[in-house]
Amino acid sequence: MKMRSLKVSILAVLLASFGLRAFAHDTPNGMHISTKSPQAHAFFEKGVQKMEMLHTEDGLNNLRSAVQADPQFALGHIFLTFFSQDPTEQVAEREKALATRASAGAEEKLIIDWLANASQARWIPAIQAMNEALAAYPQDKHLHWMAGWWLQLDQNQSTRATAMFEQVIQLDPKFADAWNEAAYCYAKQGNFEKAFADIKRYTELVPNEPNPQDSFAELSRMAGRFEEALTHYRMSLKIDPTFHESQLGLGDTYALMGQQPRAREEYAKAIETGSPVQKVLWSLQSAATYVREGDLAAADKAFNAVAEQAHAKDFANLEAEAYRSMSMYQLDSAASLNLLAKAEAVLHEDHKVPQALLNEELASVLRTRVERAVADNNKELAATSLKQLQTLADANGADGIIETAMHGAAGAVALAAGNYADAVNHFEEDEANAISMRSLILAYEKNGQQGNATRLAAKLAALNEPLIEQAIVVPEFRKHRAALAAKTNPALDPRGKYR
Amino acid sequence: MSIGSRICVLLLLAASLGASAEAKQLAVIVDKTNNTGGLSANDLAKVFKFDSHKWPDGRPVILVLRDPSTPEMQTAIQKLYHMQAEEFKALLAAHASGVIVVRSEDELLKSVESIPGAVGLVDVYSINGRVNVLKVDGKLPLEQGYFLKGN
Repeated sequence: MKMRSLKVSILAVLLASFGLRAFAHDTPNGMHISTKSPQAHAFFEKGVQKMEMLHTEDGLNNLRSAVQADPQFALGHIFLTFFSQDPTEQVAEREKALATRASAGAEEKLIIDWLANASQARWIPAIQAMNEALAAYPQDKHLHWMAGWWLQLDQNQSTRATAMFEQVIQLDPKFADAWNEAAYCYAKQGNFEKAFADIKRYTELVPNEPNPQDSFAELSRMAGRFEEALTHYRMSLKIDPTFHESQLGLGDTYALMGQQPRAREEYAKAIETGSPVQKVLWSLQSAATYVREGDLAAADKAFNAVAEQAHAKDFANLEAEAYRSMSMYQLDSAASLNLLAKAEAVLHEDHKVPQALLNEELASVLRTRVERAVADNNKELAATSLKQLQTLADANGADGIIETAMHGAAGAVALAAGNYADAVNHFEEDEANAISMRSLILAYEKNGQQGNATRLAAKLAALNEPLIEQAIVVPEFRKHRAALAAKTNPALDPRGKYR
Repeated sequence: MSIGSRICVLLLLAASLGASAEAKQLAVIVDKTNNTGGLSANDLAKVFKFDSHKWPDGRPVILVLRDPSTPEMQTAIQKLYHMQAEEFKALLAAHASGVIVVRSEDELLKSVESIPGAVGLVDVYSINGRVNVLKVDGKLPLEQGYFLKGN
């Protein structure tokens, strides 16, 4: 036994022999923690610290050790509910948190009420409990960080999330991830000046971690500063060559720069080192490079290979996504609809993948079918697919991905029917999807909202996300805009320099 | 990367999270002693247009509103009143005894909490545990198809 472990064991035995009382921990701007076990307390603190540095797996393992050391540790259980990526674990931990709630302190009880309700899509009591906790404990930086995190990730409320992260920074200017998350919030709002200022501070606070450089790179890529993005991804890999996300980022950046063979080279390196899930996910990105260069036969071959790979691993939602991605760029409608049928069939087979993920992919498949049917003027197919999607959305009311898919599809149907105000309402709920953005611009124009159309067109033209929707929509949209600009003012035509 | 992107990968999600627009949803709030669980959109419009003056328990309705220029009120004017801003201001002036105009969300929440019979509209993410939230047409804010939603 190593000396350090021995010391911990002796300390634990000594404390146990004195008879444990509730072990409460307060720091001037920290969270009150109630556990009878000093070991659970230590694991918990380490777990939270790891989560705050985005060492997710390490963080989760420490939180699991905390509740193992003290099964009555309600706060530990609810943190696991919140951070776990395993739906089964989330439900089990939520039930344990509720069962042990009585032993928790006042702040912990509010956190349990917030997160337990949220995990059951009971949004009103969840928000009420969160706001009560924030009002009662305005100095708790961890609480504000979690609230920001929940608002940003679960609720897509980046403006409110920003306020939370700003509060964390005020309480503790050295809280590194608050700078990171705030930077992403600002970028999402289009405020890149503030985003870069915050991300720079993040890199200064944790210079030996790869993630700050990775974040800097990702924000640079989002802003269209591709050379800077490449530099920072390389800096991240220099700090930690095993930080595979940065290797992926190199591929994404080259893809967006239009250098597809180079993108595939970089993706291949990432895929080689990724986990089984990452291999499939990143192969989807790599396959999309053929779509970007207009080689649809090669794209078909690559996507089919990904589908087979996903099938072999039983990642049914990703297998279906490969078929759906293929359907999106098919020139022949019958081929597109066949691929969508194939995707749907995969999702209806028996799989180990959580049903929620299968439902989300099914929503995307149905949405794509509606869009294709609308393009073909096949009103009957559009209506039946939309109805199917509506039923799915009603049964999964809390799922944001299904809801946005439903709005994207309903918007397409409304736009085709000339119901422009309706189309605007629906597309505005799916405003981050390049296909909906393109349609929303048209809906705004038809609805007499020219100012909104102009703003959104500028946003779509500047969209640099490595997604299949972006690959299909944005390059064409940019060409179209350039041609229009050239018509109205030849001096603005970027192609002019080649003439 | 943000923690969100990392979770995305761990969840086998290729689509980006947070894909929806940052839509604003208004909660209809009343004081804790108000037992009304919900209203139809039509009845809610009647309350906010001063056509319904009393709650089912007989207490008078007091509207607590923000300034008409706030985004919350813009959504309300569009969805509940179907009026132009000037018409709306005239309506408020004509019913001055039944309405309190406040300057902030905080003030709105405190007023509704402390005035029996008060009803107000607030961004759903601002609600606290000291007010009740009414259903509109059987739905609470953030449920699919909720009525008081705007961007």
